[in-house]
Amino acid sequence: MSGLARLGAFAHNTFREAVRDKLLYNLLLFAGLMIASSVVLAKLHVGYDERIYRDVGLAAIALFGTLIAIFVGINLLHREISLHTVYSMLAKPVQRYEFLLGKYLGLVGLLAVEISIMASFFLAVLWIKGSPPTAGLGWAIQLIFLELALVTAIAIFFSSFTTPYLAGMFTLALWIIGHLLGDIRAFGLQDGAEAYKPLTEFLYWCLPNLDRLDIKAEAADGKVIELARVGLSSLYAVLYSAALLVAGSFLFSRRDFR
Amino acid sequence: MSVIQARGLRKVFRTGFLMRTVEPVRGVDLDVREGEIFGFIGPNGAGKTTTIKMLTGLILPSSGEATIHGVPVPLPESRRGLGFMPEGTYFHDYLTGREFLDFHGRLLGVPRAMRERSIPELLQKVGLPHAGDLRIRRYSKGMRQRIGLAQALLGDPDLLILDEPMSGLDPIGRKDVRELILQLRDAGKTIFFTSHILADAELLCDQVAIILKGQIAHHGYLGELLGQEIEGVDLVVEQIDEALYERLKQEARRAVVQGTRYLFELPDEAHAEKALKLVLEAGGRVRSLSPRRRSLEDLLVSDLQADSATARSEGEVER
Repeated sequence: MSGLARLGAFAHNTFREAVRDKLLYNLLLFAGLMIASSVVLAKLHVGYDERIYRDVGLAAIALFGTLIAIFVGINLLHREISLHTVYSMLAKPVQRYEFLLGKYLGLVGLLAVEISIMASFFLAVLWIKGSPPTAGLGWAIQLIFLELALVTAIAIFFSSFTTPYLAGMFTLALWIIGHLLGDIRAFGLQDGAEAYKPLTEFLYWCLPNLDRLDIKAEAADGKVIELARVGLSSLYAVLYSAALLVAGSFLFSRRDFR
Repeated sequence: MSVIQARGLRKVFRTGFLMRTVEPVRGVDLDVREGEIFGFIGPNGAGKTTTIKMLTGLILPSSGEATIHGVPVPLPESRRGLGFMPEGTYFHDYLTGREFLDFHGRLLGVPRAMRERSIPELLQKVGLPHAGDLRIRRYSKGMRQRIGLAQALLGDPDLLILDEPMSGLDPIGRKDVRELILQLRDAGKTIFFTSHILADAELLCDQVAIILKGQIAHHGYLGELLGQEIEGVDLVVEQIDEALYERLKQEARRAVVQGTRYLFELPDEAHAEKALKLVLEAGGRVRSLSPRRRSLEDLLVSDLQADSATARSEGEVER
């Protein structure tokens, strides 16, 4: 049997576990409420209606997507280990990286479905309010999805060797830092901050630069977004995620299940 | 031919903030031969589960080596043809029994048509024919144990490693599992199992290994380990008077009154013959007369007693 078929089995089971989890539906419900709230918010800022629908809609998709990626992602891997369900799976002729990648693919599949649902709801709000969707919104949603796939890879990487609490904290910290890397680098380039420059440059080039994947503001403004930029950012997210999964698989293969 | 072979298998864990070392398995050697039922016996914390986890690739050995079907552990190929049931009843409880078996069948590479045919058969075999569409979350502990066993039987493996397969089962369930294990042996399978229910192990096993504090204390065929010598004779009688009871008590190691019945544990056959003669002469009724051989429990208890005596004397020397 090919490793691909086993990956498929792990991914399918992960997806099935997630869709049977009530937490997911609660998060989706809140995301829907937040997108719908843009209609009320737009009434408070007359003249900025379209910008508010787009801003709030994209922010809701990104925020709740991130919550699902971090909490559902970490929880799903942690549960397999803490509830010992991993024993009967890994005692079969499977490679541990197949298990880890299968979990990742299942989660990414879940994120794809979850983003599709939220995006459909977002587009429905735009359609009802007569605001036409733009290509930029589509690219922004694609990059949100890739950012979430990268955040999931970070969560899986930390979960492969540490406790769920620490994995959650580390992932959240990297998500925050990842959105501030541009500012961190700018700080190191300031006059008088030369001593910090090696550190800020190191952080800028080594940590996942999530700012690079964030085009929500430009898309909400209706600006034209270059395809090359979207392509390079997408490639960056895919390669960074792949590197994290390789490192996570290596650490997971050395883990003892006591 | 050895299906499982282990030489000097050892595991050291580092635990806690100070990274203290703990060594639950200290150089285990095992030889499990094809077509046998092998019991891996020991008290809690003796190292049984850690050894099993090393054999199944869940824990990496610190030193030593093991092979399954000649393939070094922990290579995934060593787990081909192996069915494993872990201790406890930890399964995906959001799945139905049928979905659970289907998922595990997919991991083993069992084709869909074969899964569709074999899953109902397995559910029938483990006594869950009507529970296949029920979520595992709603299963009782005994039902979880049975679905775990069905999972281990998927793909018709040659070797079964069962960690406490009788745990959590009622007497009927235990009997069913015992019979299933014997049927599997008759079908040519090799079964390696742990149990703390020594009577079950004694009924089933060809070979046993007793593990204490991470080391194998005894390893061999039951007949060799327990011997054939009679360790005593149990005599159960009725309708005897007080004077005869007192007389028989003098012959016995222990006497127990059970309602109208009297049980005498006699030290040997000579004492048994004498006691039997006394009862028959006095007109008493003999209910049973059975020789008592050394049991696994006797062996394990004597090992544990010797171990605690050694620990006490070492403690005294240190003081």
